Amino acid sequence: MRIACPFCGERESGEFTYLGDASPKRPNFAVDSVAGPEPAEDAFYDYVYLRDNVAGVMREYWYHGGGCRSWLIAERNTVTHEFGSVTAAPGAGATKLAQAGE
Amino acid sequence: MVDYLWNAQSPLQKELVAGRHGVTAGQAGVTLTEIRGIMLVQVMARRGKAVETAKAAKKLFGVEPPSTPKAVIGKIATLIWSGPDQFLAFAARSADSQFGKLAEVFAGIASLSDQSDGRCLSQISGPRAREALAKFSSLDLDDTMFPPGATATSSVDHTPVNIWRDANGADGEAVFNLLVFTSFADSLWKTIVASALEYGLEASSAHAE
Amino acid sequence: MSGYSGSEPLSRTAALDANASGRAAPVSQSHRLRSGGLIDRQSPLQFSFDGKTMTGYAGDTLASALVANGVKLVARSFKYHRPRGIMTAGSEEPSALVEMRTGARREPNTRATTAELYDRLMANSQNRWPSLRRDFMSINSLLAPIFVAGFYYKTFMWPAKFWETVYEPMIRRAAGLGKSAELPDPDHYDKAWAHCDVLVVGGGSAGLSAALAAGRAGARVILCEEDSRVGGRLLSDGGDIDGMHAADWLRRATDELASLPNVRVMTRTALFGVYDGGVYAALERVNDHVAVPGPHQVRQRVWRIVARRSVVTAGAIERPIVFPGNDRPGVMMASAVRTYVNRFAAMPGRRVALFTNNDDGWRTVEAIQRAGGEIAAVVDPRGRAPAKYQAVAGLRDVRVLTGGVSDVKRGVDGVRSIVVTGRNGLTQQIEADCLAVSGGWNPNVGLSCFHRGKPVWRDAIAAFVPGDAPRGMTTAGAANGEFSLGACLRDGHAAGVAAAAECGAAGNAGEAAEACDDIYAISPLWQVKAKGKAFVDFQHDVTASDVTLAQREGFESVEHLKRYTTLGMATDQGKTSNVNGLAIMAEATGRTIPETGTTIYRPPYAPVAIGALAGHHRDENFHAWRLTPSHHWAAELGAVFVDTGLWKRAQWYPKPGEKDWLESVTREVLSVRNSVGFCDVSTLGKVDVLGPDAGTFLDRVYINTFSSLAVGKARYGLMLREDGIVMDDGTTSRLAEDHYFLTTTTAKAGPVMQHLEFCRQVLWPDLDVQLTSATDQWAQFSIAGPKTRDLLQAVIEPSEDLSNEGFPFMGAREVKLRGGIVARLFRISFSGEMAFEMSVPACYGEALARNLMIAGKPFGVTPYGTEALGVMRIEKGHVAGPELNGTTTADDLGLGKMMSKKKDFIGRVMAGREALTAPNRQVVVGVKPVDPVRRLRSGAHVVPKGVIPGPETDQGYVTSVCFSPVLAQWIGLALVERGRGRFGEIVRIHDPLRSEDYEAEICNPVFYDPEGVRQRG
Repeated sequence: MRIACPFCGERESGEFTYLGDASPKRPNFAVDSVAGPEPAEDAFYDYVYLRDNVAGVMREYWYHGGGCRSWLIAERNTVTHEFGSVTAAPGAGATKLAQAGE
Repeated sequence: MVDYLWNAQSPLQKELVAGRHGVTAGQAGVTLTEIRGIMLVQVMARRGKAVETAKAAKKLFGVEPPSTPKAVIGKIATLIWSGPDQFLAFAARSADSQFGKLAEVFAGIASLSDQSDGRCLSQISGPRAREALAKFSSLDLDDTMFPPGATATSSVDHTPVNIWRDANGADGEAVFNLLVFTSFADSLWKTIVASALEYGLEASSAHAE
Repeated sequence: MSGYSGSEPLSRTAALDANASGRAAPVSQSHRLRSGGLIDRQSPLQFSFDGKTMTGYAGDTLASALVANGVKLVARSFKYHRPRGIMTAGSEEPSALVEMRTGARREPNTRATTAELYDRLMANSQNRWPSLRRDFMSINSLLAPIFVAGFYYKTFMWPAKFWETVYEPMIRRAAGLGKSAELPDPDHYDKAWAHCDVLVVGGGSAGLSAALAAGRAGARVILCEEDSRVGGRLLSDGGDIDGMHAADWLRRATDELASLPNVRVMTRTALFGVYDGGVYAALERVNDHVAVPGPHQVRQRVWRIVARRSVVTAGAIERPIVFPGNDRPGVMMASAVRTYVNRFAAMPGRRVALFTNNDDGWRTVEAIQRAGGEIAAVVDPRGRAPAKYQAVAGLRDVRVLTGGVSDVKRGVDGVRSIVVTGRNGLTQQIEADCLAVSGGWNPNVGLSCFHRGKPVWRDAIAAFVPGDAPRGMTTAGAANGEFSLGACLRDGHAAGVAAAAECGAAGNAGEAAEACDDIYAISPLWQVKAKGKAFVDFQHDVTASDVTLAQREGFESVEHLKRYTTLGMATDQGKTSNVNGLAIMAEATGRTIPETGTTIYRPPYAPVAIGALAGHHRDENFHAWRLTPSHHWAAELGAVFVDTGLWKRAQWYPKPGEKDWLESVTREVLSVRNSVGFCDVSTLGKVDVLGPDAGTFLDRVYINTFSSLAVGKARYGLMLREDGIVMDDGTTSRLAEDHYFLTTTTAKAGPVMQHLEFCRQVLWPDLDVQLTSATDQWAQFSIAGPKTRDLLQAVIEPSEDLSNEGFPFMGAREVKLRGGIVARLFRISFSGEMAFEMSVPACYGEALARNLMIAGKPFGVTPYGTEALGVMRIEKGHVAGPELNGTTTADDLGLGKMMSKKKDFIGRVMAGREALTAPNRQVVVGVKPVDPVRRLRSGAHVVPKGVIPGPETDQGYVTSVCFSPVLAQWIGLALVERGRGRFGEIVRIHDPLRSEDYEAEICNPVFYDPEGVRQRG
């Protein structure tokens, strides 16, 4: 299997590590939330454990650890293994962002 | 009082046996040389400072660092792309404080990490070099696909490596540089030697110039 | 060398040397034609089969040399031990499996048809005892009614206890085919990568055309061919191409391909796998054709080829017809008969009968007659010769019978006669010593179906052709159902042009070569139903009645048919049996063949030696290894090493006279606690965390605060996974305002680095922080013991203040060493003693070790390894890997108070979940056996006294153990339910794995110096 790193070009899959679905976003909760811990726990429970298992195109996190060490977001068809677009995570390199998150 | 000796040791002290290995008939198909005495500094632009980093590099090295996988030869160092907005500055280790100089120029603009001892550098050349490399590297090192000046961050034996191509040698053959992590050097040297035995291998050690 | 001139009749002097007595006396190369063939008659070779020495020529395969020597019987079948001969001339061979070579290189199940002959080749038949001719196990044939399909599932079931003691050993002895060598493989193997634009698979007429076209157009081409030479069927069937003989065209094509620098022709290279993304795998049999590879040469090489496009021109495989006796020695595929005659100048028989249902089989008549043999009869259900052959002179006297072969009678040398049943049901017996069979041709669709594509049935050729192929792959020529030479050449050329163009190479590809377009007519005849065993899968001895039995028992789907009968599951993967099996099942179920369907095709296409897949990575080279900077020095001292992941770490340094590891380790611990010692801890992960937001970044990653850490100080940090479980721990120092130096455990260095990068690039891209690994940059030593300062003062410049005030506990800064180099010094203690960790650039690691030995000589300095390191940290109750085991929380480890309540960090929210804060959780405590000489074992379970041990009463387990020199007994750390409130309680240690059971006391995990006085001195 080959993955086209946007920085390095097409590479053998062994250079990469797969993390999972790129859709879930890490919830942001204040440390001393007046609402108590439940809303945060519920949100984090979903974030940590619940995943859609799509038979089709998914956006996934891949880490080019055996190469330029960039985190990538790749569109992959889980049925045919075909890759669509592969882009760098927003914080790869020295990109300066106005605020956290995508 | 005791005089302590602080001799630098290469990680290849045991595994590198200079001389001819493998097939002995004819010219050696592969030449493998450890390059010792290197200075290597990882330069990583700080957020929003990629342009300043390039400017600072231009001032110090006379060239901008490559923004795509390439190696460019500067005044006092070769700049090797190692990822987005980062590069390795490579030169022969000298008496003066090279890291200090870089730290001054890049202060507040880029973060630096001295990797001079964290990596081991070898040079691979010879008429059969590409065939040997093909045994342990999945990269396309064809002449047009990986021309002089091309570089790659990749893996060998599932360990990270940097490869870049110099200008061809005096014999017209391609010259490849391979930078591996120091702790893996002993193991990877063995892999490289094994790949070249059928072509005849000439192994040696030299100092960076 | 004389090639086969297709259109020129061989002279009559190429006739056989007939043996006057008519009996099969052993005559050297009795069946070798006097001239012709692609063999090198100037290079005779000696070989032996079953101990009998024979002669062949360079260019022969073992099979062709056996044919030339008149050998018909070469094997015994798998289940029934039926006598078998050579059935084909290619890699699809199901029957002629022999054992090649002897000793360490002995290899069973080698197809004689693909084994190239070399001088002094030694081969033996297999699966027979005591001899090939008189095989005792052929008695199985008599028990055939028991051994039908599915018998494994129905027998050997009672009594149950007999399975392990009687049946399984018995079956194991009787089963299997061939014996592998019992010595280590002396050969070397390789793996390599190759890249190209267009990969052409198969070097026959279509493949050569495709390679020429793509190569001329300027594409990077790799053409791989499993045979030792390109040419495919051209080597056996000849033909006229572009107005010249096939041999001449072949020579020109080969020369042109060799002249193109962008084309690489790889012979003896068989493609066996098609993977995602245009990656292909092939096996090159580099030196299978010599007795022993030359010095530094490999035996075989596995190639991984990355190709943008591929053109599969893998040809077609002739299929047998299913009839009683179709497995007898002397029954051979018609195209194989032609191959032996034309390519190898070897006659499979002198009086050949032909059974064919298609036009192509008829070519065999011509070939036999030209070689001076006789055609006994042609049995063709269609009743007459194809139009184009009717005018040929030699056919005038040939008997043509309408009907089918219904039995094969054999003598000791194979076929003696055949029985033909006419359309009218009447039978007649025809004398023949060889029966050539052609049931049609199956395009080789396997490769195109590896990605779950289903092949498509084509009625016109009564065969499957490729359906959906993997992305980037096209099929051409016979593999695509094009059976005429003209079509193959055109088809291959067009495919090559198209593939090259898709890669951006649109140079002048020239014109396709021209040849005639023979019509291929076939009248499907799958089986002749008559009394006797009619074989479908020859290698697994699956008969037609097995297939119908499967149907009667309800195993109608093709996937069930396959597994119930084992049809198609042998090393030949059904190449000569799958379609016939489907046809029989289709008829039995009243469906068409396409309705019956096909099973899933999977790599490898043909067997691949495990050694080839391993390549260089076997034995001590199985995986890469990592050495610490002091490794060679430690080895010099005789250290015993342990593998920690990829690292080799000194485990202990035995001294002469010490009787075991325990003695050495105990000595090392006592030396450290009483004086001073040092240990190489370079393997711990080290990360430079840089930039203005480095401190904030670490606050979010660790449970405790680091932004408040002063420059020149170190702090112990713990990091969690997002689910609240502890991920890793380490000591992180602040070396400058914008420079933190983070350490990890050895095992987690890689995963933590990946996690940190994820946090930097994905979670908090707003933070200005940069990361890079520094593990290999620094050699790091732990120096510990009451004499540590004395030792360090000897190596460090006297101007450096190492006193308790000058360098307080948890300090971290650079110091100058005597002799010029600069080191980093960290006052941290894993051992609980007065200790520092010192790091120097890796190249000075060995020098530092040597100098510490010199400097420490007056104090009896002792190098210590990971075992002593472990003993001391257990004595101090420091948690490590066995406690950070992926199930424990910070609180379980006794580190709950470290969790900041003021900031968010990874794992904060989930760590607060009810289950993770429950009061009955298993927490880290100390344990020590009540009996001071009792050895404590890790993994043992903790249960209360007086209960029956079991899952319901289980209260935890022992995680780390050691013999403590300080307490003079075995101690350990354990995770025990509510453990912290149970100090002093006596519990039961229950170890069913080692059948041990004893009492132990729960206690404070800090066994030694609980106040921490020694490390803060």
